[in-house]
Formats: sequence, C-alpha cells, structure tokens
Amino acid sequence: MKVVARSALAGAALCSSVGGAWAHASERGYVLLLPTDYYLFGGMLAVALSFLVLVFLPVEGFERLLARGWALFSVPLDGRAAISFASFLILAGLVFAGFSGSRDPLSNPLPLVVWTLLWVGVTIVQGVIGNVWAWINPWYGPWRLLVRLGVPETGIWRMPGVLGRWPAFFTLCGFAWFELVYLAPADPERLAVAVSIYWVFTFAGMVLFGHAAWSRRVEFLTLFFGMLSRLSFLAVSEREGRRKLVFGLPGYKLGGVAALSISGIAFLLFALSSVSFDGLKHTFFWLDLIGINPLEFPGRSAVVGASSLGLIVMFGLLFSAFLAAVWLGCRLAGEDDWLELAGHLAWSIIPIALAYHFSHYLVGFTINSQYALAALSDPLMRGWNLFGTAGLHVQAGATLGAQSAWIIWNAQAFAIIGGHVLAVVLSHLIAYRHFGSAQRATMSQIPFAVLMVGYTVFGLWLLSAPTAG
Amino acid sequence: MSENRKSLINLNGGLTRRSALKGLGAAAGLVAAPGFVRYGQAQSSEPIKVGFQCHRTGIGAAYGRWYERVTTAAAKRINDAGGINGRPLEIIIEDDGTDPKRGAEVVEKFANQHKVDLVYGTLFSHVVVGSAPAAGELKIPYYVVSEGYHVASGKMNRYCVQPGITDVKAQARSVAPWIADNLGKKVTLVYPDYAFGHDHRDFFTPAIEAQGGQVVAKVPIPPTETSFTRYFPQIPRDTDVIYHVMVGPAVLTFVKEMGEFFGSGGPQLFGFIDSLEAVDISSPGLEFLEGSHFWEGMPRYAQPDQPDYVTAYREAVGIDQNGASANDAKDVSTAAHMFGCWETLNIIKASMEACDYKGPDDRAAMIEATEAMTEMEAGPDHPQGKKLFNGKIHQVFGEQNISQVKKGKLEVVHRTSIEDGAYEPEADYTAMSF
Repeated sequence: MKVVARSALAGAALCSSVGGAWAHASERGYVLLLPTDYYLFGGMLAVALSFLVLVFLPVEGFERLLARGWALFSVPLDGRAAISFASFLILAGLVFAGFSGSRDPLSNPLPLVVWTLLWVGVTIVQGVIGNVWAWINPWYGPWRLLVRLGVPETGIWRMPGVLGRWPAFFTLCGFAWFELVYLAPADPERLAVAVSIYWVFTFAGMVLFGHAAWSRRVEFLTLFFGMLSRLSFLAVSEREGRRKLVFGLPGYKLGGVAALSISGIAFLLFALSSVSFDGLKHTFFWLDLIGINPLEFPGRSAVVGASSLGLIVMFGLLFSAFLAAVWLGCRLAGEDDWLELAGHLAWSIIPIALAYHFSHYLVGFTINSQYALAALSDPLMRGWNLFGTAGLHVQAGATLGAQSAWIIWNAQAFAIIGGHVLAVVLSHLIAYRHFGSAQRATMSQIPFAVLMVGYTVFGLWLLSAPTAG
Repeated sequence: MSENRKSLINLNGGLTRRSALKGLGAAAGLVAAPGFVRYGQAQSSEPIKVGFQCHRTGIGAAYGRWYERVTTAAAKRINDAGGINGRPLEIIIEDDGTDPKRGAEVVEKFANQHKVDLVYGTLFSHVVVGSAPAAGELKIPYYVVSEGYHVASGKMNRYCVQPGITDVKAQARSVAPWIADNLGKKVTLVYPDYAFGHDHRDFFTPAIEAQGGQVVAKVPIPPTETSFTRYFPQIPRDTDVIYHVMVGPAVLTFVKEMGEFFGSGGPQLFGFIDSLEAVDISSPGLEFLEGSHFWEGMPRYAQPDQPDYVTAYREAVGIDQNGASANDAKDVSTAAHMFGCWETLNIIKASMEACDYKGPDDRAAMIEATEAMTEMEAGPDHPQGKKLFNGKIHQVFGEQNISQVKKGKLEVVHRTSIEDGAYEPEADYTAMSF
C-alpha cells in the first residue's frame, strides 16, 4: 500500500498541470436540449392540483376503494424455506465467482447481481408486485434448517426494545456509504468479502435473536423491501390456516398498519435521501459547491469526505423537513400527538422512494442487466453458456441518442410525478384515518403537500441538471 | 466482456467461445481450446499476461466499453497469428473506476497479485498521472493510450510510454497549417477555462502564428457554464475561424446556441471531435455543424478510398459504415481514439519480439526495445496511418485527419503530415535509470 499512497500523492501534485480531455458529451446533453423546465412546472402543478382535488372529493369513497382486496387463488404450499435455501446456495456460488471469477465488474456475476438485479431489480419488484424477498432472501432457509435442528425460533437472547429500528438504520447507512462513497464497490473480490461478512453477521444475529426480530430491526434489506412491498399489488393473505393470493390497489396493504417509530421514519427517509444524493453528487451544482471542476472529475477518491458529509446532510435536510411539515400540519389541525401522525405519514413516502429508485437507476439497469444476463451464463469465465446468453451483445444503444434520451426522460418524469401524486393521495387518506375528519385532515396536510411539491421539482431537476459522467 | 464472447464466436466460426481476454488465469484452457493456433513448445507457451487498466465504472465507462472491445479484437488477431514469440496473449481486466488512487492500486495488484508482464490501456489523463508513479516504483512497463501531453512532457518515468496515439500538443499543432491555408488566418479560440482548454490555447496559438495567422480573441468559458449565448458577442466580427474545443454534457447546447446566434452566416468552424466523440453527428441540435471541420484521430465514417487494412480493422473491432457498433446502430464508437489500443498492443508485440522477451526480468529490455523504435509503416498493425516514435519522450507522432461534416457525416478532406504536428522534445527519458 505504500506504493499506492506515494503514487496517489505524486499524481495529485501533477494532476493540475495536465487536464483531462475526456468529459463526455453524455446522454444528459440531449436532456439539456429538452424543455425540462415545462416538466418541472407541470410536475409542480400536477402534485399541487392533486392535493386540491382531494380537498373537494369525498374521502370515504377513496378509502373504501383502496381498502379493498380481491382474492385471486389459494396458495397451497409455503415454499419459502426451500426457495430461500436455494437462494442461499446461489449466493454462495456468486460469492465464489466473486473470489475466483473474472476481475472485470461487468463480466463477474456478483457485482451485477448485487448492484443491478438485487438493489434495483428486486426493489422494483417489491414495490410493484409483492414481497418476493420473503421467499428469496438467503437467510430464512438456512435458519429454518437450524430451527429444525433445535435452535430456538425466537433466538437465545431478546433484543432490547429501546434499540428500535436504529440498528437497521445504521446497517443501511453502511450499505449506502459502500455503494456511493467507497472507492471500489463493484470490485468482485471486495464485494465478495463484504457480502460474506454481512451474510455471516446477519445469520448469526438471526440465530441469536430470532429471525423475526433481526429482520425487523437490523437487516436493512428485509426492512426496506418489506416496506416497499406495502405498496405492491399482490399479497399472500393467511386466514384460518388458508393462504390466498390477494390483489389490491397501491396502498391497500397500508390500511391498519402501525405507525412507524422515529427510527423507522429515519430509516425510510435515509433510503430515499441516499438515492437522491447519488443523483445530486453528479450534478454540476454539487461539484461546484465542493470546489470540483465537473469537466475534470478527479474520481471518487478525491471526494470521499465531501460525499460522506453530503450523504448525512441530505438525510438531515429531508428528515427535518419531513418532521417540520408534520409538526406544522398538526399545529394547523389542532393536534398534539404529531409524532404518532409522523409515524403514519411516513408510509406515504414509499411511492416516492420507489419512483426515485426507478428513475435514478433506469439507465444503468438497462445496460447492466444485459451484462448480468451474459455473466450468469458463464459465471466463472470458463466458456460456459448455461442459459444461452453468454454471447449476448450488450445493446448500449437502448440508452443512447436523442430519441432514447426523450423516452428515458419521459419515463423518469412520469414516475417521479406519479410517485408524488400517489404519496399525496396516501398521506391524505392516512391523515383522514388519523383525524376522522376531512377538514382537519386537509388542514394537517397543507405543509406536507408543499413539501411534496418541492421534492417533485427537486427530483425532476436532479434528472435534468447537467452532470459529470 | 459478453460482446467479446460474441465476437469470438463469430470470428472463430463458432469453434471456440474462449476469449483471449479473460478475467483471470486458466490459460492452459486457452491453449488447449480448439480453433486456436498451436503455440510453440510447452515450456515457452506460458501466456504473456497484459494487465488492462480499464475504465469499467466511473466517468470513463462509456469510453472503457470501446477500449475493451478494440483490445479484445486486437488480442484475438495477435493470438490467431501465433501470439507473441509463440506465446498466447492473455488480457486481464481490472477496473480502475476512472480514479487515480484506484488506478495506482490496480497497477500494484497487477504487479504483485496477477504478476502480469506489463500494464496497458489507460485513457483518462488523471488516472495515468496517478498510476504512473506506481508503475515506476514497481518497475513494470506502463503503456498508455490517453493522448495527453503528460508522457511527452517528461513528468512521468522510464516505464511509462505512449506509442499508439499522438498527444494533444501535436494534434493541435498539426491542424494549424491547413486552417491558415483553407479557412482563414484570423482565429478566435473558444475553450473551457481549465487545463484541457488551456492546453489547446497554448499549443495552437504559436502554431497558427507560425503560419502567418493570428489569434484575434480568446473566449474562455467557465466549466460549469451550460448556456453560451452571452459569450458569442465576444467573438470579433472580423474572425475567419472559430476554433472550438468545448467538452461535457453542454456541448450540444453550445452548438445549438451558436447556430441560433450566427444563423446561416458567421465564421468558419473548426473543432476537435473529442467534443462529440461517441455522439451521433446527425443528432438534433447539431445541424449547424453542417459544412464545418473537425480534427479526427482516425475517421469515424468509412471513407470511399480507405485501404483494405482499414476495412479489416473496422470489421474486427465491430463498427459499421457510420462508426457505430455493427450490432447496435445507436452505439457510436470512440473511433477517433480507440485505434490507439489496437496499435499499442501491436507495438507491445513488436517490442517483446525485438528483445526476445522471456519474462519479468526482461521488462527494462522491453522498454529499451520500444524506445529504439522510430518509423512505423501504415498497415494492418497501424491502421490509423504511419507513425514516428520519439524514444526520448516516449511519445508517438502520426498523421491526423481533417474532416468536414457533409450531410450529417464526416468526410476526410485532408491528412496532415507528421511534420505538421512535430515539436522539439522537451525531455529525455532514456537518460533516466530503470
């Protein structure tokens, strides 16, 4: 490492004298040519109008519609343990590939599965379809096996209630830092080490404190994915020992859900703010703010401190803006227990988190999911072709050029605006359930609606502002 | 990498899926695979390991994709022809994240963990500058393809060479005579106000003055600027030529606003394709470029009179008539620069064969063999054109293309001579110790 440290130092000293010539006229260049200001204005209007429309519509009708579920068919088997165990074996294989497969992060399946298929793909599936993660997480199956062998289901120790969901908040912080700030999160070997450590840490926690407690309070993926699945269309409902697949409108599963504790609110808002910060940290605005020339971005290593700080500040701003909006709303509605309402209203953030996730990762997912398909067919670079996709030519063109930029931008804008409109609708219903009065619910929602309008504009701006890389 | 697999399947007639480019190890399989030329004796058929420092992630990823495709194609061609000294070439990719610190780590990993024979392929200047000291300390040859002036400036070390692509100083100088003779002698420079733009300003100004021309105005534009109309009034009315080297996402806006400002009149335009590398010239907003001129390292569009070896090169790296991926017409290549990977690998081969390279003990001899090179003839190994290597400054000089936008495509109208871009060496690496 000595050589590296010295080299980097020498490099930094020389960097100022030879400029990078390679700032890319990237796809954002096409977006800069689009009338994005109109979209920002239109998005603002759409969210504000949806709030106004709700004021004049009878809430009860909405409430009934959103609370309804349609049973589709019964699910005879609970295959979670078996599928989860298979998932664990696949993960073990991927970690092995991380250590001994290709060093290229676009040829090795581990980084592609973790950063593309899991963190982007599964998130969207959770938010739209249902809680697939409950079946495919790599811990439940192995843990069930240990329970069969005599490990107590509720664990050996009890986790102190005072911890709330803060442990999950901090594991999520660690994950976000690794993804957004750490120098080489896609390096197959380093990722294999990180995944192994986290798997063992989680598994040990589940054995010691019980699967349920650890999943709810420490394991950030299960908590995040579980929260997102509250928005999805499908759910498995269990009544009198019979399992049924149920279809409901977005938010159907939010009826009767308990208020989030302050740690739960912090967790959800950190998930949203970290994705927003990933968008922000590439913008000219941010780079200029931290004194970096966006046309010669010096690389992650030069901005570790600024990015770490930005991650925290972004969360701090969103967290305080959210709490302030709820507090102010409660004042307007003559309500004292604002923390309770905050815990309920936090659920309405989920569609926004989902929309950001979709919009932010859309381009990367389009390309890297193709690399993933190819890598999975030949995970160890031994010339295999397991699924017939090893020879896939990655169609980067799907995200390139003026036409693609237009399609992508519109999909992103639609998702961001739609996510916020849905959030306004849900928050209105949540407030109505809380207050039992349409008038007080409306009063309480005014500051929150202003925050939603602001975050819509911010989200659209992030996706249309000039960026480096 | 998946594309490599595909291209290999196509090119080898389906005989083997095994790539010359592998993440790691398993070289024995490569040699044993059907469809590959039989290499020499078992003892000497250990692969030559080339560590490819690739921009797989970070801001350079779009360029890295094409550098990787060309590297694969060039390595395959070398292997199909019997390898280097009868030994197969194996490329090991490590991602540098387009980051200088990570770049230095990767060089160290190549040397100590993968035990490669040399490191190759870096594009972004700051990664080269950050990694070169590590290569020097570890005494491992470092062949870069970055077009920066940093190698020729003498600030790197004995192990760092750039033999496959002309540097920016020579590029800027080489176009001056043609501009003065054909577009006009009064030039206004429009450039981003930081090192890259300053390099162009400082290299081009004396070159145009030597041709009896004159820089009548310099218009530096702040790097964070995304709207340009207010800068255009700074361009004097008697300007014959605007020399523009804008880069970054706002380039399209720059061209569009320039078109709106000047309309159908206005001065001649001369630009560097760096501004629009990998961008479709017929994109909306770029109509104003019709009739204007660009520097191109190697032509993006197939030219009617191109030699057979250029056609073969384009086919091997997988680009169509428009310089886009043969499999994906919207994926425009970095044609003006990526040939440097092809030529550099061929120079590595030539250098190793010249010094009868056996292993890491011969690394210094390999650098000396490269330093001893001078003229390189245009042909299958050097499809961009003939070159002249200057061993003292570890930098190659080549002919450059001046192309005009005609019907939304670039057509070569002039090739500069090597002498047009040449300059006096300002360093002597050969005097440094290993």
